Amino acid sequence: MGESSVLWLRVAACLYSIGLLDAIITVVRRREALFRIALSAFGLGALFHLVSIVEQGLAQHQLPVNDIFQTMSFCAFIITAAFLAIYYRYKAGSLSVFIFPLVFVMTLVGALRNPVSPWSNPVMGNTLLVVHVAASLAGYAALLFTAASAVVYLVQEKQLKRKQTNSFYRMLPPLGTLDDLISKSLGLGFAFLTIGMVIVIIWAFVGMGTRWIGEPRVAISFITWAVYLALVFFRVSAGWRGRKTAILSIVALACCMITWLAHAQLQKRLLQ
Amino acid sequence: MRLLLTGLSHKTAPVHLREKLAIPEGSIPHALQEFQKMGASEAVVLSTCNRVEFLLSSPDHIEPGVIVDQFLQAWQGSAAIFDGHIYRLESREAIQHMFRVAASLDSMVVGEPQILGQLKAAYAAAKTEGSVGGLLETVLTRAFNVAKRVRSETGIGQMAVSVSYAAVELARRIFGSLKGQTVLIIGSGKMGELAAKHLHRSGASRIWVTNRTLSRAEDLAKIFNGKAIEYTRFPAMLHEVDIVIASSGAPHYILNRDDMQRVIAQRKNRPMFLIDIAVPRNIDPAVNEVEGAFLYDVDDLEGVVNANIQERTKQAEQAEAIVFQEVEAMMSRLKLEQVTPTIISLQEQLEEIRAAEVLRTLRRMPGLTPEQQQQIEQMTKSIINKIAHGPISELRRNAGQPEGNQAIELIRKVFHLQH
Repeated sequence: MGESSVLWLRVAACLYSIGLLDAIITVVRRREALFRIALSAFGLGALFHLVSIVEQGLAQHQLPVNDIFQTMSFCAFIITAAFLAIYYRYKAGSLSVFIFPLVFVMTLVGALRNPVSPWSNPVMGNTLLVVHVAASLAGYAALLFTAASAVVYLVQEKQLKRKQTNSFYRMLPPLGTLDDLISKSLGLGFAFLTIGMVIVIIWAFVGMGTRWIGEPRVAISFITWAVYLALVFFRVSAGWRGRKTAILSIVALACCMITWLAHAQLQKRLLQ
Repeated sequence: MRLLLTGLSHKTAPVHLREKLAIPEGSIPHALQEFQKMGASEAVVLSTCNRVEFLLSSPDHIEPGVIVDQFLQAWQGSAAIFDGHIYRLESREAIQHMFRVAASLDSMVVGEPQILGQLKAAYAAAKTEGSVGGLLETVLTRAFNVAKRVRSETGIGQMAVSVSYAAVELARRIFGSLKGQTVLIIGSGKMGELAAKHLHRSGASRIWVTNRTLSRAEDLAKIFNGKAIEYTRFPAMLHEVDIVIASSGAPHYILNRDDMQRVIAQRKNRPMFLIDIAVPRNIDPAVNEVEGAFLYDVDDLEGVVNANIQERTKQAEQAEAIVFQEVEAMMSRLKLEQVTPTIISLQEQLEEIRAAEVLRTLRRMPGLTPEQQQQIEQMTKSIINKIAHGPISELRRNAGQPEGNQAIELIRKVFHLQH
């Protein structure tokens, strides 16, 4: 990949990161404070993204989908273009919670094709790794709260529907409180997990070159993050509550467990 | 000191007798003065719509029942009309009754909170008149603590026992806080208005009212500082409403499952509480099947109330155990107070003898060093402490026992004690 096309792609990823920030704020604070700015940045990012793809295509005399990095970048661009078209036509802004983070992460992966020199100071790499582990664990903990609250929500909802009342169920928190807890823990968990993932992508890219993309552990992490993203999207955009949130949050939690087990080796390495 | 509690309650007397004995708030100071003039050391008057009770303490030589008879004679002309309805409880029974009343175990609706406030007001009135300050003060302040303990250790006051409060309780289980919730009243039934009042008082700030006759809706809306909505417009505004109270006279369902599915989708699945207190019902029961919609009709609310009453009964059993425990503790404390003057008298008498004998001995032995004098002091103190230990233990052990008075009297005689 040409140096300049990677540069344009990295500029696009930077601009898309504002979208990611907007999505996190929307989920955590439940208001779209940055949406206008994020949308403009997203449009501008798409322009740089297009330039990068065209440049790559011209250089290779073919569609730039030769490897996973280029394919990721290309897919991200198609999603971006589709989102902008849908937004232009239907003003479906709520999709941004899903699209902004997804496009950012895909573009980031696409922009990490050309290896760079490893850390000159190993402390930097280790620090990043520690931050990644801390953020990921915080994300898992938050998801645990989400799943637990969702299950209690389900129990309380069932009791209210069946019109049953006894002292045990009176001890459970009200639906409104549980719903608030689910939203907050979900938002925070998503923020932590995303930060953890972006950091580890950069860490792995610097430390391992392009080999990192072939790691099964990376694939598992991506799947976990995608499930989390879907959960956030359905919750914020479609207002999923009760059974659906409970099931999806348990699935997301199971994915996190698998990811965590898959990374046991990483922990060993940290301890060394 | 003697303690008597006498009076009538909803359990022993019909309302026409209770109202005869009732003492208006303004006359309570006068009644308290009367009791004191008639020989009572202390007096408290509790007069509510469900009970009229007098709590008196008097010196041992005055029979408090006689004071009450005199009072009824002077106040009502005759005590005979209350015969068979009035109860007279002394000592332990009086304390137990007071604790039960304060803890709302003797109330018509067990666990209702008003009685404690009324008892506190009765105590405050007596305090202002200076008619409490000894035994009654001890009993009443303990009664307030018992009530507090019962409330915190049992769930006796937490469950709604009226249909309208049950609606508030359910709304809280759904939304947590009712602050900022929007309530829509459909129709102008009295029950609906009452439920809305409770919700409004509990924090629901926006109250909307709709009725086929707009002027009626406007009248009701004024009560809550709310907004009247035209009947034809309310379905379109339903998604903004959190709690619906349906109490219209419509002969058919005005909300069905499809309507609710649309509304819940518009609300992004945010829960909605629907209270149907109309007969015939206003809301299709199938609405409860829609996720996020919680529909309760009159029978459902009654069911909640009945379950709560049962639960309160269970909690009341726990509360009775607490009261029993507290009465025991109170009795032990009072019994101990009863023999305290005798114990002090015994200690003073022995000390007096010891001090006089030590003084005499020291005068006879002028050559003793201060250290030797000190040792004599110590030794004699130790002797009288050992002598007093037996009788003091016996006094404490016999305090309040059925045949304890004989033992106490014997100790008094043996040591020539005045108290």
